[in-house]
Amino acid sequence: MSERRPYVRPMPRDWWARWPFRHYTVRELSGVTIAIYAAVLLSGLVALLQGPAAWDAWRGWLASPASLVLHGALLIAMLWHVRTWFQILPKTMPKLILGGTPVPQRTITLIGTSVAVICSSALVAFVLWRPF
Amino acid sequence: MTERADKTIELRVLRYNPVTDEKPHHQSFTVPYTSDMSVLQGLQWIKDTIDGSLTYRWSCRMAICGSCGMMINAEPKLACHTLLRDLAPGPVTVEPLNHFPIERDLVVTVDDFVKKIESVTPWLIPKHPKPVSEGPYNQTPAQMAAYENFSACINCMLCYAACPQYGENPKFIGPAAMAILQRYDGDSRDGGSALRIDAVHGEDGVWGCTAVGACSDVCPKAVDPMHAVNQNKMNTALDYFLRFLKKRDTK
Repeated sequence: MSERRPYVRPMPRDWWARWPFRHYTVRELSGVTIAIYAAVLLSGLVALLQGPAAWDAWRGWLASPASLVLHGALLIAMLWHVRTWFQILPKTMPKLILGGTPVPQRTITLIGTSVAVICSSALVAFVLWRPF
Repeated sequence: MTERADKTIELRVLRYNPVTDEKPHHQSFTVPYTSDMSVLQGLQWIKDTIDGSLTYRWSCRMAICGSCGMMINAEPKLACHTLLRDLAPGPVTVEPLNHFPIERDLVVTVDDFVKKIESVTPWLIPKHPKPVSEGPYNQTPAQMAAYENFSACINCMLCYAACPQYGENPKFIGPAAMAILQRYDGDSRDGGSALRIDAVHGEDGVWGCTAVGACSDVCPKAVDPMHAVNQNKMNTALDYFLRFLKKRDTK
């Protein structure tokens, strides 16, 4: 019998920044954009409470180049978040069996993404055209 | 007609001898190969002709026993199910499965994994036990579809080697154990989920999972352990919030 001396390899502290986990890390970080955008909206609400001057200042900041760049970045991150959120949706819900066979995960992702795209487009159209 | 092994590929194998080595090191071997040779056959060629002390686990050579899992070019794979021709021109790095202690060369310690599988009560506990004379427990194809993919697990541990959360916290119950748990919990004939729920709860249970999804990506049997783990997040949440109602039910 030879001696047992199991060797434990250390876990790299930056595993999340390495292949193949980068995709996961970007997906999770894109969720942070929701919190950032919520903070932007909340600051608008606070400005509204403070009075017309603060509200106008906040509106002015919204139109500034820095704000436009931030909103552009938030939009891209949010679109990525929507895409990847629906990619893992079928893994986080109970298994769907229809007519005796499991519904393919790709179908669930496709339906979810389509509903999100349709609802978001409808909301944008409503805000742009204001039918009433 | 037998193909001649006139091409060669370099295998960089992680070696570790617990008696003589302080820590593991890579050793390179130049292996002649034919288009039908797997990484496992490459290792067998090394063991037969160059170094008989090279140590690795294998058995069936056909991706069903789950013995020859190893890191091939940093990806958890079955050595018998990975062809050398797909890795040409090389070099190919062959290392023991990540996140497990190395016993020797490519052999890892499996004790922790086996304990985790045991902890989920991995057998059918009939809802309504009946004698054999009353016939089999019947099931419809739809009821079988609810758990069938989870029953395909071959315990190869690739999912544990892929899971960074298991690497961070070895107490985390991990993907395969949850897939096996769901194989029984999802079975219409089974009534044992109350016995298994303790393995599901808490940070060391399903909540240790952050939905990285690498477990399902590397599974050679399309078991989809990530689905099993995340489905059980719902079950553990319901069990937590409904525990007072449940107590009343049992009185």
